[in-house]
Amino acid sequence: MSQWLSEVIAAGQTRQDWLAPHRQVALAELEKVSWPVRRQEDWRFTPLLPIEKRSVAMSSPSDSALAVPVIDDLTAIELVFSGNTLLTDIKKLSLPDGFRIVTFAEASTAQQDVIKTNLNKVKPTKHLFGQVNDALLSDGVFIQYDAGKSVSTPVRITQLANNEGDQHMRVLVHVQEGARATVFEDGHGSTNSFNTAFSEFVIDDNAYLEHYRLAMYTGEAMHVGGCHFRLGEKSQLNSTLVGYGSQLSRLDIDVEYAGEFANAKINAMYLLAEGELFDLHTTIEHAVPNCTTEENARGIVGDRAKAVFNGRIHIHRDAQKTLAELNNRNLLLSRRAIINTKPELEIYADDVKCAHGATVAEIDETALYYLLTRGIKRSQALIMLNFGFIQELIKQMPNQAISAWLLTQLHDRFVGMEVK
Amino acid sequence: MLSIDNLHASVEDKTIIKGLNLEVKPGEVHAIMGPNGAGKSTLGYVLSGREGYEVTGGSATLNGKDLLELEVEERAREGLFLAFQYPVEIPGVSNMEFLKESVNALREHRGEEPLTAAEFLKKAKAACKQVQLPLDFLKRGVNEGFSGGEKKRNEIMQMILLEPKLCILDESDSGLDVDALQVVAEGVNSQRDGKRSFVVVTHYQRLLDYIKPDFVHILADGEIVKSGDASLALEVEKSGYAFLGKAYEEADA
Repeated sequence: MSQWLSEVIAAGQTRQDWLAPHRQVALAELEKVSWPVRRQEDWRFTPLLPIEKRSVAMSSPSDSALAVPVIDDLTAIELVFSGNTLLTDIKKLSLPDGFRIVTFAEASTAQQDVIKTNLNKVKPTKHLFGQVNDALLSDGVFIQYDAGKSVSTPVRITQLANNEGDQHMRVLVHVQEGARATVFEDGHGSTNSFNTAFSEFVIDDNAYLEHYRLAMYTGEAMHVGGCHFRLGEKSQLNSTLVGYGSQLSRLDIDVEYAGEFANAKINAMYLLAEGELFDLHTTIEHAVPNCTTEENARGIVGDRAKAVFNGRIHIHRDAQKTLAELNNRNLLLSRRAIINTKPELEIYADDVKCAHGATVAEIDETALYYLLTRGIKRSQALIMLNFGFIQELIKQMPNQAISAWLLTQLHDRFVGMEVK
Repeated sequence: MLSIDNLHASVEDKTIIKGLNLEVKPGEVHAIMGPNGAGKSTLGYVLSGREGYEVTGGSATLNGKDLLELEVEERAREGLFLAFQYPVEIPGVSNMEFLKESVNALREHRGEEPLTAAEFLKKAKAACKQVQLPLDFLKRGVNEGFSGGEKKRNEIMQMILLEPKLCILDESDSGLDVDALQVVAEGVNSQRDGKRSFVVVTHYQRLLDYIKPDFVHILADGEIVKSGDASLALEVEKSGYAFLGKAYEEADA
């Protein structure tokens, strides 16, 4: 066991609150696990050295220097966590009809019981850092949408990483039958810090969830998190994931179909500047028939940066008439940029339609030269040639305000990335 | 306009241009002919600033500006246009977007306001019609799936829209049937206004029936070995490059 993990366990044991029984379960698991090494497929390309070298920080020494990014024209219900502190006075939020927001810290005894029954309902136990989150979680948000209600205003949960701080946050969302909801998880960090943000979504029959998860951790800000979805019959998920890279950033996505005729559309984008690492693992479990998955992951990898994409679609024996598409496209900006991509289809049903593919491209020097000879600026030419495939996914985002803002963010990040 | 003095250039340490001199005045049309491997295409690449084409000596100026010191896009902004022998296919970038970016980049350089979408569309449509390309070619990816002739016409369309000062046409006639050749030639001739200059690189005299050159130069082994008027092209057409020596005679046979 690593020193860091021992510290996690020790720290978890000191937490004697209403979540203690729940923490104990995770702690017992953590006692048993072996620390991931690179021989393990799940962590083959992502060394955990930066975490091993870290001490478990129990306090939040300083406030975050980060501010919540302003997104023009976005009307949202905003919850902001700076480190482990909720800056928003949740009682003062004026919420539209049809849903409730409760934070773990302020939950009444009755609400605590509801939270307890929803915790780990969807998140698989296989995620080591999910267990760490269980053991150390400092606060969380539980959002419940009433059956049949359509809430058009997004709930935006921003997590700002504190300098030197740890942040172990949980988001639980229950979209009840026939409801429509939008949840926007917005994570930012740039200085030395460690965030585990895990979220669980139960989408009941005929319900719809529009979801955004930004993992904009850069520099020394470490992040290991996950989003876990369970889809009921005829439910729909539209999720957009965006990752930057840092010394260690990893996101695990799980989608589990629990009812037939459900569909999930997942668009993931990652832009890694020099020397950064980002690891995206997605697992789609088609356990029942007649469900549809459409997953697109696209990334641009800068000099000496490393991206990992592992996309698994598992079609169980009974999951006939499954439609599943998984595609991963990458652009490397340098000979020293690395992508480890592995789309995996595991099919046990015989009447399914599935496709998967991965491509890796480099800058097309001839095309670039051609554009330059027509007077187009080099930076603009690079955008025209290489940003289109990212832009395409941004434009598919249902929320126009987030989409427009993100387009500028990613555009600027790309322009700042050097082609070598 | 264009002044090339004792230019030397190499590709991967192999010297291709070996002391080339050329003086092009405003409004003139110069044809450059020569056997394969003489350095005809290299000249266009060197003047436009393609990576990997290294100038090892001499100078090249455009209206007094040192071309060789400029970036590729700056040369274009100073008025240099190269029509490619093999235009590049760029799927995912529409011809329209490409042309608009180019035109507005050049306008910006001249201190002019960018064209609005409507203004640009009008110009683009006119140019498209002039080179007899269907209008839907504006919407397609740059040269994507275009035939050889369509690509060449697309080059001429760009030339018309970009209004350069000096045009280098690199074998704009290769692979064209007579009809397409006429379209290309008419496109070029429509841009002759007494000020704009042209350097027409070609293998065959045929193109020069349509684009009348003021001067014809023979480029062989990296330098201009003979210059004359249009009749020199006819001479080459008739008896090949035999006058250059036995080696060329065989190469061109």
